[in-house]
Amino acid sequence: MITVKDLHKSFGELEVLKGIDAQIKEQEVVCVIGPSGSGKSTFLRCLNLLEDVTSGEIEIDGQQLTDPRIDINEVRSQVGMVFQHFNLFPHKTVLENITLGPIKVKGVSEGEAKEIGQSLLKKVGLADKENAYPDSLSGGQKQRVAIARSLAMDPKVMLFDEPTSALDPELVGDVLEVMKDLAQEGMTMVVVTHEMGFAKEVGDRVFFMDEGVIMEEGDPVQIFDNPQNPRTQSFLSKILS
Amino acid sequence: MIENFLDSAYVKSLPYLWEGIQLTLYITIVGLLLGFILGAITGLGRLSKVAIFRGISTVYVEVVRGTPILAQVLFIYYGLTAVNIGELTAAIIAIMMNAGAYIAEIVRGAVYSIDKGQHEAGRAIGLTERQTMRYIVWPQAFKRMIPPLGNQFIISLKDTSLFSVIAVGEVLYMAKQYYNTTFEIFETLIMVCIFYLLITIPTSIILRRVERKLDV
Ligand SMILES: Nc1ncnc2c1ncn2[C@@H]1O[C@H](COP(=O)(O)OP(=O)(O)OP(=O)(O)O)[C@@H](O)[C@H]1O
Ligand SMILES: [Mg+2]
Repeated sequence: MITVKDLHKSFGELEVLKGIDAQIKEQEVVCVIGPSGSGKSTFLRCLNLLEDVTSGEIEIDGQQLTDPRIDINEVRSQVGMVFQHFNLFPHKTVLENITLGPIKVKGVSEGEAKEIGQSLLKKVGLADKENAYPDSLSGGQKQRVAIARSLAMDPKVMLFDEPTSALDPELVGDVLEVMKDLAQEGMTMVVVTHEMGFAKEVGDRVFFMDEGVIMEEGDPVQIFDNPQNPRTQSFLSKILS
Repeated sequence: MIENFLDSAYVKSLPYLWEGIQLTLYITIVGLLLGFILGAITGLGRLSKVAIFRGISTVYVEVVRGTPILAQVLFIYYGLTAVNIGELTAAIIAIMMNAGAYIAEIVRGAVYSIDKGQHEAGRAIGLTERQTMRYIVWPQAFKRMIPPLGNQFIISLKDTSLFSVIAVGEVLYMAKQYYNTTFEIFETLIMVCIFYLLITIPTSIILRRVERKLDV
């Protein structure tokens, strides 16, 4: 589904990604962990071309993202992204946040988009909030709307960048629950998260990133309980202590 | 007493002033509408990735903001003899050019103040750059522009009084015409000031309310 070959990304002089190779299969859930500044967000943002790639190849569902002839907007509409700080559109209602993409990007009719939006809101447990504005929602509710907004584009892959780390602890569960449902329905997901419980329960594989490369990858239980790389060991001992 | 009042410039200058008031408002409004278009283009130009667009916009803004408006007015009317425009056109162009530069800064600041995540979220669902600006960034930025734009309206309104130097029949020019024959300078100018205040004070009050409501 996703193939990344020797991906490099620099910001000016600073090389942030130093050669990433990865294969992600359809319906797989990959969790990405690693210290701050290791390039996790940058990696994710390269996967939907929010950052332009310095060198290397990314292929998603048979499309070469690094091919200059590619329609970037088309790619982005097929790769959903959920942000740490939700980034909902504050001037639009919950439902409008969700229907904007289908209407403007896919040319879906307003009535149809509304139906899609309402059924997605039901799915994330917020059917009663369609006319609310984002500012009136809790963080957990906002993030669930953001997930619904991405899903409305019917993406092939969903990327999550620390979706629960801006939330109060008691609101994390609802969001993880929605993500778990999504995984069970067979969505291909790449999730930057330090929620170990989620990674172990839902994740098929974990990537440990450090200094711009994937230092270690493997089964979640193995990575968390029995890491091989000394860097992984020291990172985990820090976040678990 | 009342007869004296009715016979004074407080009342008798009004028909003259009224003519000037209309022209003052006309110049202000048309000049500002055009200035808003110019300011929106150059304000976005200053944020553009295209160097030449950014360069032109920056030079324009800096030149206008760095020179006195009176010099600009004289330059447009007398300096550009090659094009030989009428004084009313010169006045409208002067407001457009001058307000445009300040509005460019208002637009730039407002657009810049919108969280980068908004732009990214728009792009992430597949909107084009243009659609993201139009549906996501611009509506939010425009709200933040309203108070400073109202302020610019007040400034430009007052700036129109400078056009008396090129004999545009705005309100101050008409006042001068009147008191040059009757010598009731004090009374006539009081009326002129009252006119300005009747516009500027309510505008300020409305702006403050809007500001509080928008919470910006
Ligand atoms: N737009 C940018 N311009 C310059 N440097 C950047 C930019 N974005 C990220 N960086 C730098 O790239 C490095 C990796 O950042 P990135 O956000 O990918 O790390 P991260 O692993 O997601 O960290 P965190 O856990 O704190 O989110 C950091 O040193 C950061 O300062
Ligand atoms: Mg990050």
